[in-house]
Amino acid sequence: MALTIEEVRKIASLARLRFAPEEDGRFAAQLGQIVDYIDQLQAFAGSDEPDRSAGLPEGADTIVPGLPRERFLANAPEERDGFLVVAEVKASEAEGS
Amino acid sequence: MSAPAAAPLRDLSVEETARRVAAGETTAAEVLEAALSRTAEVEPEIGAYLEIWADEARERAARIDARIAAGESVGPLAGVPIALKDNLSLEGHAVTCASKILEGYVAPYTATAVERLLAAGAVPVGRTNMDEFAMGSSCENSSVQLTRNPWDLSRVPGGSSGGPAAAVAAGSVPLSFGSDTGGSIRQPAALSGIVGFKPTYGRVSRYGLVAFASSTDQIGPLARNVRDAALGYAVIAGPDARDSTCADRPVEDPLAGIEDGIRGLKVGSFKEVDASGLAPANARCWHESLERLAGAGAEIVEVSVSSLEAAIAVYYVIATSEASANLARFDGIRYGRRASGANSLGATYVQSRSEGFGAEVKRRIMLGTFALSSGYYDAYYGRARAVLETMRRELDAAFTKCDLLVSPTSPTGAFRIGERAADPLAMYLSDIYTTPASLVGLPALALPAGFDDEGLPLSLQITGRPFAEPEVFRAGRAFEAAGDWRVAPTFKNRPNPGGGVSSP
Repeated sequence: MALTIEEVRKIASLARLRFAPEEDGRFAAQLGQIVDYIDQLQAFAGSDEPDRSAGLPEGADTIVPGLPRERFLANAPEERDGFLVVAEVKASEAEGS
Repeated sequence: MSAPAAAPLRDLSVEETARRVAAGETTAAEVLEAALSRTAEVEPEIGAYLEIWADEARERAARIDARIAAGESVGPLAGVPIALKDNLSLEGHAVTCASKILEGYVAPYTATAVERLLAAGAVPVGRTNMDEFAMGSSCENSSVQLTRNPWDLSRVPGGSSGGPAAAVAAGSVPLSFGSDTGGSIRQPAALSGIVGFKPTYGRVSRYGLVAFASSTDQIGPLARNVRDAALGYAVIAGPDARDSTCADRPVEDPLAGIEDGIRGLKVGSFKEVDASGLAPANARCWHESLERLAGAGAEIVEVSVSSLEAAIAVYYVIATSEASANLARFDGIRYGRRASGANSLGATYVQSRSEGFGAEVKRRIMLGTFALSSGYYDAYYGRARAVLETMRRELDAAFTKCDLLVSPTSPTGAFRIGERAADPLAMYLSDIYTTPASLVGLPALALPAGFDDEGLPLSLQITGRPFAEPEVFRAGRAFEAAGDWRVAPTFKNRPNPGGGVSSP
């Protein structure tokens, strides 16, 4: 299944990634080749999955201390007064385009 | 002190090292210095480590020695130097998954498996290289450096746990820990001529392991022999309330019956292996391995799992789908790399991710996003889950005819650096034999089985029923004991012949 450059750009947008124009074509070709390979799944018999959720452990809903704020913020790219600093959320750009 | 032993400290098994340290016949400090000295000798050629924690390791070794001197009991890994893959958290230490996007990230807590290793007396000497976010089969996808195979420096050590594998194979440490999502412990163990073990899904806590595909990720040991791998596994296994997928059942001691042999056990060999086009030397090794198992008393039965052929396709849909969700957290906001100059939140996400992830990680995020996207979900993700269910049933049926399943670990020995780098699909096919145990959650052991015509190590994989770790190790030990092994790697094809490394 060949993927068009437009399809690759759409997937990239969903994945919050962007490729340089010269990379789009290469990714389209490589992904197309991998999707071709994966298409063999259609030739194998599938089976319905049973519900395996029964018997999963149900932990007691107890409150435990989380990571102290200062330790969390030690990894922050930018922080001020105990808060993360982020760029402004602009509707037109928040989609990642 | 007893008389000096003939073998250098770094050649001792994990068990013997810990025994001597605990008995005061040597010290953790001496063992560590031997490991650091060997590491300094081999690292310029191998490149297994991203960071070596020499000072801290010396302090830790000194504390262990002080406890022994004070008559305190120390754990089963007393003074054993270990290496960690760069996706296992140790509080206060960098953990980067060999990715630019986690440059500068410092683990704020310690993985359960690592906590247990420290409590057992192990001494971490450093964090080791890997394919970025554990995505790859050669370690070439590290954003930091190449790691070379100690058997042949022009070849890859396998991946994604290439650093942990090369560190053990080169004699730097006797034991290392990696993660295995589709073969990432077993395949590098195979290519590097050592033992690697992936536990049953849920046997080892994933708390503190950076997630790739949460439904198959497991932490496990790499070692020079089966007993050492079993001991490393036993230390990290067991229930953990911090990972809800971790099984709440006691761990059977894998060393208790490990020397009991395999007489009477039924071992299933996949019919599909012979039709898979193995190279002559690999096919010969495979058949000799079956003969060796039979010679040790196992009954070999042929089994057929027709969905095996679909394993790679199933794996690359499910693992990339999970990865696309797991890696959404790396967005430049809370930790890791943030792109400079982005003028909105959305642009920060896109630019940070596009700059921070390497090509293979992007490829897999894209593939997973595609497989989960509207219009394709049923045809890809849904289909992969359905075929996986067929595979699970076929493997269940196979286990009604046998106690263990065997196959080669990898279809080939170590390939040359660069040989598959431009062809992602060829790289994915390296995982044909390792992905089924991952997908179905079974314990699987890779162990040396011989050599190909170029003197590169080949490997046998032994897979068991869920939680049948003791049986898998027992069979591995019987196979190992029946072989005539040469375990010292050859350091062939030095770029600089006459350079300093001696074979261990």
